[in-house]
Amino acid sequence: MSRRVLVADDAAFMRQMIREIIEPEGFEVVGEATDGLEVVETFREVHPELVMLDIVMPKCSGIDALRRILAVDPSARVVMCSALGQESLVQEALQAGARGFIVKPFKPDAVVATLRQVAEKPDA
Amino acid sequence: VKLDLAKYRTLFLEEAGDHLAELSRALLELEKDAGSPEAIDAAFRMAHSIKGMAASLGYESIAEIAHRFEDRMARYRAAGRVDATGVGVLFQGLDGLERMIGRVRETGEAPPGSPELAAALAAPDAAEVPSSKKVRRRS
Repeated sequence: MSRRVLVADDAAFMRQMIREIIEPEGFEVVGEATDGLEVVETFREVHPELVMLDIVMPKCSGIDALRRILAVDPSARVVMCSALGQESLVQEALQAGARGFIVKPFKPDAVVATLRQVAEKPDA
Repeated sequence: VKLDLAKYRTLFLEEAGDHLAELSRALLELEKDAGSPEAIDAAFRMAHSIKGMAASLGYESIAEIAHRFEDRMARYRAAGRVDATGVGVLFQGLDGLERMIGRVRETGEAPPGSPELAAALAAPDAAEVPSSKKVRRRS
């Protein structure tokens, strides 16, 4: 059975690329969001197993959106998408409760491996 | 997973065009109000997004300029305003990005790098240079 993923990035380019990378590998994109507020709303609606969340988002930053998602569901499994040069933001996100991170530009194998690892790791 | 890069190049050109237009609007706003948090945030996000897309397609020269632009905006975000001389440098960055992305549109190829522009974007503003370096000592 496919694992249900919510993808949040303001760039359609990135959302499309993520979809093409993960859907052949046993993941199903059940929702997309284009800003930090929409991702929280969509999370409430679709209850995904995983969230891929860009760290830089309009309206509400990726880290603020992460905190809001965890307030809705403390066991949410959120993987942050960052870019080179954003190490301090990644650290902040991991401390706030993100389960993993992926660095752009995406390496398809690394994206899939990280999602599988986060999906399969039991809750502490 | 094999991605159709021609399709992503088309998507990149569409989205990057929109981003450049929003970046231009943000810089015009910053000319009027150097402390506009919305304009600073928008310019930061547009540069970040262009960087991510360009890097994904291997357009390293564009990603480099967008990265420097984003870093400069991060400094302005921390400072809460853009330095007066900084807006000019940002417009140079916008012009460079427009030129480079136009080159992709025309040739389908990555443009050459622009180390001078990268250096200009990375350089501190006049206000950020320590005063000892601003004054040429006569001895």
